[in-house]
Amino acid sequence: MNPTRLRETLAAYAFLAPVIVGFVLFVLGPALAAIGFSFYNYDVLTPPKFAGWANYRRFFHDPRLPLIYWNTVVYVFWYVTLTTVIGLALAVAATRTMHALWRYVIRTSYFFPVLTSLASVSLVWQYLYSTDFGIINYYLGVLGVQRIPWLTSSQWAIISIILLGVWKNLGFNFILFVAGLQSIPRHLYEAAEIDGAGRWASFRYVTLPSLTPVTFFVIVWGLINAFQIFDSPFILTTGGPGDASRTVVMYIYESGFRFFQMGYASTVALSLFIIVVVLTLIQFRLSRIWVFYQ
Amino acid sequence: MTALAAPDPIRTAPTRGRLFDWTLTAMLVLGGVLMMIPFVWMFSTSWRLAKDSFSLPPQWLPTAWRFENYHEVLTGIPFVAFVLNSLKVSILITLGQVVTCSMAAYAFARLRFPGRDLLFLVFLSQLMVPQQVTIIPIFILIRVLGLLDTHWALIIPAVFSAFGTFLLRQFFLTIPVELEDAARVDGAGYLRTFLQIILPLAGPGLSTLAIFVFNFYWNEFFRPLLFISTWEKMTLPLGLTVMRGYLGVGNVAAIMAGVSMGILPVLIVFLLAQRYLIEGITLTGIKG
Repeated sequence: MNPTRLRETLAAYAFLAPVIVGFVLFVLGPALAAIGFSFYNYDVLTPPKFAGWANYRRFFHDPRLPLIYWNTVVYVFWYVTLTTVIGLALAVAATRTMHALWRYVIRTSYFFPVLTSLASVSLVWQYLYSTDFGIINYYLGVLGVQRIPWLTSSQWAIISIILLGVWKNLGFNFILFVAGLQSIPRHLYEAAEIDGAGRWASFRYVTLPSLTPVTFFVIVWGLINAFQIFDSPFILTTGGPGDASRTVVMYIYESGFRFFQMGYASTVALSLFIIVVVLTLIQFRLSRIWVFYQ
Repeated sequence: MTALAAPDPIRTAPTRGRLFDWTLTAMLVLGGVLMMIPFVWMFSTSWRLAKDSFSLPPQWLPTAWRFENYHEVLTGIPFVAFVLNSLKVSILITLGQVVTCSMAAYAFARLRFPGRDLLFLVFLSQLMVPQQVTIIPIFILIRVLGLLDTHWALIIPAVFSAFGTFLLRQFFLTIPVELEDAARVDGAGYLRTFLQIILPLAGPGLSTLAIFVFNFYWNEFFRPLLFISTWEKMTLPLGLTVMRGYLGVGNVAAIMAGVSMGILPVLIVFLLAQRYLIEGITLTGIKG
């Protein structure tokens, strides 16, 4: 390596040093340690005891886990689907908004919930969802719908958590799709028009393909985050009734920090990690088929 | 950044009927009003007598201006301490991330060195690691270091970020290289180029990152729940949640007053910095 290249390399690693140290200390190291802990029983107070595959055997026979995983998957599926589809529809509609003032009002009102704390807005929604005194049931009642036990029935609890999640983060995808729409080059529409394409055809053959990279980002990002859902079920339902709205992360929290089974909590956390990585890699593989980069 | 200024293709496409557009606009505005309803209810309830919190049909405007609810939150629980704790934690993490991430982003965006692309990929892959995988070993590490129930437990592991490095790298790539080349010819080293050329030009990027990071840690709930156990040391979202039990579920008005005061700074930052936030989101999502 010549001296100039060597100097540049050394400089680069000097600039990278803090984040590399952080990565090793707080991501890579702990991730490897989590694998280690999954083979031990550790209650924080007494020294760890080697447990072999016991935590894994327990994981595969845990009678509570299928429902808990199912709740999480239901949440992820509906959260990602609804925020993507509604976000896209809103963005397409918003490009036809008349007057800049209304555009500002729309953008602001859909986006603001994104910036608030999920824990804090859960405190508010807990009262909106109240079966007897909540305003949601009141207005549904006006429309002739019977009172829905939003937070107290095993059927509705997870739905309530999904609706809150969609309300809170819809604006994030909305903003992304608006920006995506605005970055489509005009000449593509002009070309489509010359070819005799109508409004629907240019949407189908210009707008949608041009938006596939944004859609891909929205889905991957939404999926990774949705699997980590914790704050809203923790505050709204504490996982209940029974396990009806308990999520994987709540279960990790309870195993590790309520019952101090750090080993088993690590095992469950690793399973979540593997699922997120596999799903993300599948997304990247599938993206070769449906995502068009210009 | 240029994306927002570009002409809007659909608007400039031939339109059929302004009536249709006005109908869409009206529906979107109505939807926007629905989005804001939880905040409206929260705010007007926060000024009422606790016993009127659940009066139906709902009253949308405040029916009373009882400062007592706010007074109760400010004096009955260590609310001011929650705010100061959240400020301290969020500001220190933000400063730390702006420093570490801008340094790393400069190396990834501008310097050539063996293994750069592979290292960047490895670095980005940590975005896939759920926090819950690393949190148990980090908890144990912090416990061993004797930092449990201190703000350092929240701050130290958070001053590095893959997301921040990625965001700033995207920004730095939009800065013309010619300026640095000129500085290089004048004999400036890497550190001087970084400090005197890149950083001054990256103002908008650094502001965007700062706002994102500040907002994220201002709102954070999970780690404070695990690491902080003393009431006076809690950050705002955790403190408010604990307060719910303390003030009793009956006093909705006081809880809403607390949540309102917690959301107020977010609202102010949002109205002042909306442009940066939207540019930042666009830059990560569109050009990533």
